[in-house]
Amino acid sequence: MTKVVEISPTTRHEGHSKLTLKVNDEGIIERGDWLSITPVRGIEKLAIGKTMEQVPKIASRVCGICPIAHTLASIEAMEASIGCEVPTDAKLLRTILHAANRLHSIALHNILILPDFYVPGTETKFNVFAKEEPFRSIAARIIRIREIGQTIGAIAGGEAIHPSNPRIGGMYRNVSPLAKQKMADLAKEGLVLAHEQMEFMLEVIRNMQSLEYIDVAGKQIPIPKTLGYHNQGVMATSPMYGSSSLDENPTWDFARWKETRPWDWYMGEVTIDLEDPSYPVGGTTKVGTKANPQMEACNAVPTYDGQPVEVGPRARLATFKNFDEKGTFAQHIARQMEYPDCCYTILKCLDSLNTSGKVLADYIPQGDGSMGWAANEAPRGTDVHLARVKDGKVLWYEMLVPTTWNFPTCSRALTGAPWQIAEMVVRAYDPCVSCATHMIVVNEEDEVVARKLMQW
Amino acid sequence: MIEDPYLGKYITCVSARSTDKEILQKAQDGGIATTLMVYALEQGIIDGTIVAGEGDRPWEPKPLVAMSREDILKARGTKYSISPQISWLKEATRSFGLDKVGVTGVCCQMQAVRKAQLYPINMRDVPDKVAFTVGLFCMENFPYKSLQTIVEDHAAQSLSSVKRMDIGKGKFWVYTNRGNVSSLPIKATHKYEQPGCHVCLDYVSNLADISTGSVGSPDGWSTVFIRTKKGNEIWSKAVAAGMFETKPIEDVKPGLDLVTKLAKEKIDKNRKTVEERKSFGVNKALRNPYA
Repeated sequence: MTKVVEISPTTRHEGHSKLTLKVNDEGIIERGDWLSITPVRGIEKLAIGKTMEQVPKIASRVCGICPIAHTLASIEAMEASIGCEVPTDAKLLRTILHAANRLHSIALHNILILPDFYVPGTETKFNVFAKEEPFRSIAARIIRIREIGQTIGAIAGGEAIHPSNPRIGGMYRNVSPLAKQKMADLAKEGLVLAHEQMEFMLEVIRNMQSLEYIDVAGKQIPIPKTLGYHNQGVMATSPMYGSSSLDENPTWDFARWKETRPWDWYMGEVTIDLEDPSYPVGGTTKVGTKANPQMEACNAVPTYDGQPVEVGPRARLATFKNFDEKGTFAQHIARQMEYPDCCYTILKCLDSLNTSGKVLADYIPQGDGSMGWAANEAPRGTDVHLARVKDGKVLWYEMLVPTTWNFPTCSRALTGAPWQIAEMVVRAYDPCVSCATHMIVVNEEDEVVARKLMQW
Repeated sequence: MIEDPYLGKYITCVSARSTDKEILQKAQDGGIATTLMVYALEQGIIDGTIVAGEGDRPWEPKPLVAMSREDILKARGTKYSISPQISWLKEATRSFGLDKVGVTGVCCQMQAVRKAQLYPINMRDVPDKVAFTVGLFCMENFPYKSLQTIVEDHAAQSLSSVKRMDIGKGKFWVYTNRGNVSSLPIKATHKYEQPGCHVCLDYVSNLADISTGSVGSPDGWSTVFIRTKKGNEIWSKAVAAGMFETKPIEDVKPGLDLVTKLAKEKIDKNRKTVEERKSFGVNKALRNPYA
């Protein structure tokens, strides 16, 4: 008999989300719904009427983990709308900034997922905050990689979080030769650490993949070989940076995107009838509680060719590097494999960077209201921003952030997993939930949705 | 450590002059700030420093992140107008890539640096990168428009031909390239001061590592307060390296008494303004910057 269990909130990722799961007698998920419960911020509505210079700064504030991806995608969406080409050195600085952000974000994600994994050859799970070895040196390495990523980002972008240097038409200023050298030194150091960290993580993940059971709150839970498998497609625009409608060959198609409301996608009202007080931390939702994912979800459901798709490191590797593994562990592995790429990209860009080159376009058009989009391959997936700019003001603005794409896909990928390890499946997407929260467009035909949403 | 209500805390005070002829050529007095920064840069104590360079208009200062001796030398001499030094503090650690930043500035700018170090709001990763600060004595400052009025109208000289400006002996002096010397009583310039200076309770940059100014020393020499451990270390090394000739402050005229007198004048007057501000406006005092 199908029972409903709810994990709310989910932990060890950015933002607030929850899992409402229909499970069979063996505790295997038959249908899973993963939804955002972070309150709506309404950045898209705030943007309307603002100047095109302001909006990327506002958009960046949606989240502090990948503000760089949002800033860059937003700026480039504006540039795509007004038709502004940026100088090469500005593009290089942006790419350095982007890679630095990805480097620090992967390291941060390592901290979040390691407590799910066993130290290879033992039955101890990682505790990155413990004083003992090897935990202490692993934590130190992760922190140093993050520091390197953030410092390079601060030099190239003016600030590691919410970068101030990128602007419409390029960058505010180029870096000094000393700063260029400093970034190169840091990237060289980072490269060694990133290789070490990648090798270490791959060993840990492969070890976990070979296990039959995992211990969750004292119970032995089987790990299916198909953990996190789904039949949705993958979407990626570039192995490293991104694409925009200004490109000669854009790698994302506006016409293939469609947005659905959570009302049409998630399950309706259910009553929780399965509870496990021992589930870490603090147990699952109490029996008898009502849940209504349709109404509670704050995320939209974007589709590409009519289907939700997966975005992220595995999608990038599958699209551009013939990576053929699937599921939760494959996502982890793909993410670690991007580690050295970040440092190589920074070093390559620094080689070509001319510190006395100009970084601002000579002429910045003010826009005629045409639609422009830019996709930035954020650490956790494709971050697409769309904008219409007319006379320097934003007429319309939309953010399709990575985790928005991943919400419905991951919900499908939950099927077949024991519910106790559903959070592991979620964490493999490196969710960044707060930016995936959207102002929901009220449908003029469906008044019920509108009214209920207003009440909520 | 000497503690004085008007001169702040300091380890020692001396009268000094740079031994570098090139610096002295265009220096205001003893060339202390320029020589110290050049020395710190050459010794690797700092990677670069924020100085008041040349702006777009004559005698308009503009902050500059100097990373070479040549750039630091551009800032020789006093420019009696506002140079927002601290606006480059964060950027110096960003696109300029400095790990050890030197800052030169007047009293309020030294306060700003310390405040930024204490409460690094919007100054992420900056506090530990401030390596060395040199503060200047400052009675008040003039917005550029004021300086234009003082020089062009009161002193009746063209700003672009001015070679040097100086305040001393109760007068504001203007020297031009063609040899004209013009002066006006300091009193006439008071109304052109920026109002913010009237609540400033610091005359000798109490919060800098080393502070310096002409007052108290003979012409061509500067009075130097060595205030912090770091400042003392750099000063001792620089003197040992022969960067400065020094005289004990007790042996020179007019000496510390004049510094104390002027500091007292400024601070007491400004305390009064702070007090008066409490009753400015209708049912609402002006903000007390020290409250």
